Amino acid sequence: MRVPYSWLGEMIELPSDPAELVAEFIRTGTEVESVDTVGESFDHVVTAQVVSKEPHPDSDHMWVTKVDVGQFNLGEDGNPEPLQIVCGAQNFNEGDHIVTAMIGAELPGGIKIKKSKLRGVLSCGMNCSARELGLSGDHSGIMILPPDAPVGVPFAQYQGTSETVLDCEITPNRPDCLSMVGMAREVGAIYDRDFHVDYPKIKAEVGRPTADELSVAFDDEGMCDRYVARIVRNVKVCPSPDWMVQRLTALGIRPHNNIVDITNYVMMLTGQPLHAFDLSTFAERDGHRSVVVRAAHEGETFMTLDGTERVLSEGMALITDGERPVALAGVMGGMDSEIEDDTVDVMVESACFNAGRTSHTSRDLSLISDASIRFERQVDETGCVDVANITCALIEELAGGEVAPGYVDLYPAPKAQPELTLRLSRVHAICGADIEADFVERALTRLGCTVSRAGDDTFHVVTPSFRPDLPREIDLIEEILRLWGMDRVEATIPAAKNHIGGLTREQHLTRKIGQILRACGLNETTTFAFAAADDLKKIGMPEEGRGCPVVLMDPLIADQTEMRRSLIPGLLRSVAYNEAHGTANVQLYEIGRLFHGRENASKPKERMSLAGVLSGAMDDITWLQKYRPLRFFDGKGVVEELLAQLRIEKVRFRPAEGEGYAFLQPGRGAEVLSGGTVLGWVGEIHPDAREAMDIDLPVVAFELNFDALLSGARNQEAYHEFSAFPSVEHDLAIVVDEAVTCEDLERRITSAGGKLLAGVRLFDVYRDPVRVGEGKKSMAFALTYRSDDHTLTSEEVEKAHSKLVTKVCKATGGEVRS
Amino acid sequence: MSLIEDLDQLEAKAKELIECAATSDALEQARVALLGRKGEITSVMHMMGKVAPEERPVLGKRANELRRMAETLIADRGGALKRAAMRDLMATEAVDVTLPGARPKIGHQHLINQIIEEMEDVFCGIGYTVEDGPHVETTYYNFTALNAPMDHPSRSARDTFYVVDNAPGTCAHAEAHAHGESDVLLRTQTSGVQVHIMESQKPPIYMIAPGTVYRPDTPDACHLPQFNQVEGLVIDEGITFGDLKGTLDYFVKCMFGPERKTRYRPHFFPFTEPSCEVDVSCGVCHGEGCSFCKHSGWIEILGCGMVDPNVLVNCGIDPERYSGFAFGIGVERVAALRYDLPDLRTLMTGDMRFLNQF
Repeated sequence: MRVPYSWLGEMIELPSDPAELVAEFIRTGTEVESVDTVGESFDHVVTAQVVSKEPHPDSDHMWVTKVDVGQFNLGEDGNPEPLQIVCGAQNFNEGDHIVTAMIGAELPGGIKIKKSKLRGVLSCGMNCSARELGLSGDHSGIMILPPDAPVGVPFAQYQGTSETVLDCEITPNRPDCLSMVGMAREVGAIYDRDFHVDYPKIKAEVGRPTADELSVAFDDEGMCDRYVARIVRNVKVCPSPDWMVQRLTALGIRPHNNIVDITNYVMMLTGQPLHAFDLSTFAERDGHRSVVVRAAHEGETFMTLDGTERVLSEGMALITDGERPVALAGVMGGMDSEIEDDTVDVMVESACFNAGRTSHTSRDLSLISDASIRFERQVDETGCVDVANITCALIEELAGGEVAPGYVDLYPAPKAQPELTLRLSRVHAICGADIEADFVERALTRLGCTVSRAGDDTFHVVTPSFRPDLPREIDLIEEILRLWGMDRVEATIPAAKNHIGGLTREQHLTRKIGQILRACGLNETTTFAFAAADDLKKIGMPEEGRGCPVVLMDPLIADQTEMRRSLIPGLLRSVAYNEAHGTANVQLYEIGRLFHGRENASKPKERMSLAGVLSGAMDDITWLQKYRPLRFFDGKGVVEELLAQLRIEKVRFRPAEGEGYAFLQPGRGAEVLSGGTVLGWVGEIHPDAREAMDIDLPVVAFELNFDALLSGARNQEAYHEFSAFPSVEHDLAIVVDEAVTCEDLERRITSAGGKLLAGVRLFDVYRDPVRVGEGKKSMAFALTYRSDDHTLTSEEVEKAHSKLVTKVCKATGGEVRS
Repeated sequence: MSLIEDLDQLEAKAKELIECAATSDALEQARVALLGRKGEITSVMHMMGKVAPEERPVLGKRANELRRMAETLIADRGGALKRAAMRDLMATEAVDVTLPGARPKIGHQHLINQIIEEMEDVFCGIGYTVEDGPHVETTYYNFTALNAPMDHPSRSARDTFYVVDNAPGTCAHAEAHAHGESDVLLRTQTSGVQVHIMESQKPPIYMIAPGTVYRPDTPDACHLPQFNQVEGLVIDEGITFGDLKGTLDYFVKCMFGPERKTRYRPHFFPFTEPSCEVDVSCGVCHGEGCSFCKHSGWIEILGCGMVDPNVLVNCGIDPERYSGFAFGIGVERVAALRYDLPDLRTLMTGDMRFLNQF
């Protein structure tokens, strides 16, 4: 809501400095977005006089003019020199006083004036029409000022248009503040001060009564709460007087003609949207015309006055003349019934349309108007008649109209304002401040409430009809608190008696998981929870087991049409982003939410997932160290460390095979298990998938079920005593077939080693067709023997070791490499 | 030549042998030559049995002195050689200490989660729990239960991501919807968690709920279609607007610094009454007004208010017995304010250069 300061000042006494009012507005809940000075846009626009007017040598309708702009253009001799301007208007003569926009001017429509050539003739400015200056809709020619207008003064100064306007953000609960009267009342409540408005009154009622010519009917219920119509005949449609044009311009409304301008002006004054119809466009039957409010039919079309054909749906409310629609109720009038220059008889509509329906219509058609904004916030239906009369009085005054006697008022269910009970003790309990009873009574009264006291603690309050946001005691308390001052309330901290806070075990573990991964050198990131429909397919990730997608009805962009079902596509996108931006070394993890839709349920299953990607090397080469390329075992190592730190038991890795793992490079992927539970996988992304994501370097990735990690995590076990006796280390290099896995060998060794074998560590894997043999590998283990209760003798160790070697060789078909 | 003279000569020889030993190996050789099993001093000691008994005390004493002297000299010389060797070794091991160290590679936490953890710690410190809720919500939990009217503009598909309902009409609290909308949506605010918690827990409730929310804003420097909020809710007996102020004042000082001031501006939210927005004094100009705070001296950081009685009733809580307050903070906004981020989109790219900064 744009509030012209001088207009508001006519209604109520204001501080001379608008900044003071702005501070009070902010303190009491009216946000002021900006304080504008209208007229500033008239920079480089000056009053001028036409010195000469010659036909353009190369055009049959343009003129080459010389205009005197006084001191604003000086010649080389320092004396004023006329400007040459090419002008297309026909309505002026030499000697006329006009308005000229010089080079550098920016006009209200955003037109910037530059030095230019029009058909080869230099033009150093523009002679302006009233419309080009944003003053009225008049574009019949350039603006001609009275002969006594000064030449060469800034136009803003001449016109006196400079006006301070507060651009206020009105919260949706305050329809009353979408009007000048409402703003004046608000100021009155802030300063505890009276306000006054002089409404114009109808001087004479002439001709056939409105009710005689016009009838109003509601064909469908719930469309319209009240409809008031009044006829004004024999109007003269013309541009509005300057004062109105200036006010509307300051309010940000483009002037049209006097009738339309009056409806806009009264709407801005009172908050009641109005519409003026050309009565002659209404169907006539036996000298009668009718207004019928009905529901639109599904698919019905209607041309709104902005020239757009609208396809309507059921539930939208239409105003019709009984035959054809004439307006989209509460939102916009129709093209056909618009006020034109030749309109003679006018029907003024002052109605109250259903808030919810208007809101739906406006949303469905993406059509927002000053009227719809007000209706959807609830217009005061008790004011319809008064506002109709104010409008007709202004039409009578400014357009010479003859107001028909009486009006039609269809108001099936008049609204009564309920009486609320307000407890002072409740005010104190909610606010935490001892606000005085006198203040409560005064503030509510200023806001338009009728307040009476009923005992020490109780008020009876009848709220005004223009405040639909005050149906309850708590709403009154809010009004009292904001006017009394939130800043005055003493800050306290609640005791939180009988309440225990803090993080849960799962929340602590979640933090710990992040800490472990960061200690492993991975950066945490977040990617979009959105996904493209082909995200999984693109990298060869199966949909199976991931539910159906959660699909957005109206996505913003093509690659965010649904919700993700894996973290991997997003993380691969980050790898590609880094590669493309010159960062080859990427180590990322994300703890994020996945969405698994279900065929027969409205809501998906949401679960947390943990995923990571490693590409390039751990770091750039330094003078001390070279980092090898990150491959499968680096990813696996991170997973192993994480699971070990979480003390997850019975961790195993087995080859990730089959269609389910088509996104992994064959032979470089593993399923991660804890006992029989699959926790997830780790592996190198398939080169095809990398190519699809525009990634050059190998990427090792992992994705783990977060809930399984949380439930599998164990607390620290009890302390284990160290052995006090020395250990003996023996190396064992065993040559086995390629098919024998490390896991196999380790398991055999561990079981064959018995109680004395305290540790097994693989320290070398060696392949050589000659020395080791084709299809074979040498696996070298360091074995540690130790006893908890005595120092081992070499005989004991030898015995245990040779037994182990025999058993392992036998079980795996291996041979000891000598 | 008397034995005594022999011993004198041997002493001179021993001294020379020991002092001339330039390495620990040479010293060891000297030791063997003098004190080893067949060493000269050892031999003298062995000869004592053959010495005349009357000479024995004098000679024995002298021989013992000689042995002790040799041992002491060898130990001293050994120490000196060891120290010299260590000095030489250290001289070769000296480095340019300004060379870069071998830094372990440690990852960084994402900026947004750092801030969320910080907020969690602030509120856990004053006895709050940390709660979570679904991201795909129903209109009931995102709007209706929070007292948003059926025709509230925020419900429009322009402001809310609706998702295709696979089973229309089957969710709890199914509702009627305009074209392009459904019962199911991506939550536009974390406030729905309030309702879930009030439905499942009895007061007193002191909780925050951090999490991602979604709105159809095309990504640009200041907007993301997905961002994070931290919701707060307190429901207890006797909770006042003053409690809201005290709690949020404490929070603001924890997050932005003890010198920062707060300002409470009345505002409107459907789920709180009275409602307000909270500004923090500008950290750049300290309230004087500068371009960072658009010359107001204040920066808006959160919305809050006393929980509307309708919301309490919707959740089965008696508003005459309990009252409470709620607040919602935009985490990206806090990040942008604290770190002067020029473009929020950087938060979502996984750019290592960005992540390594925080």
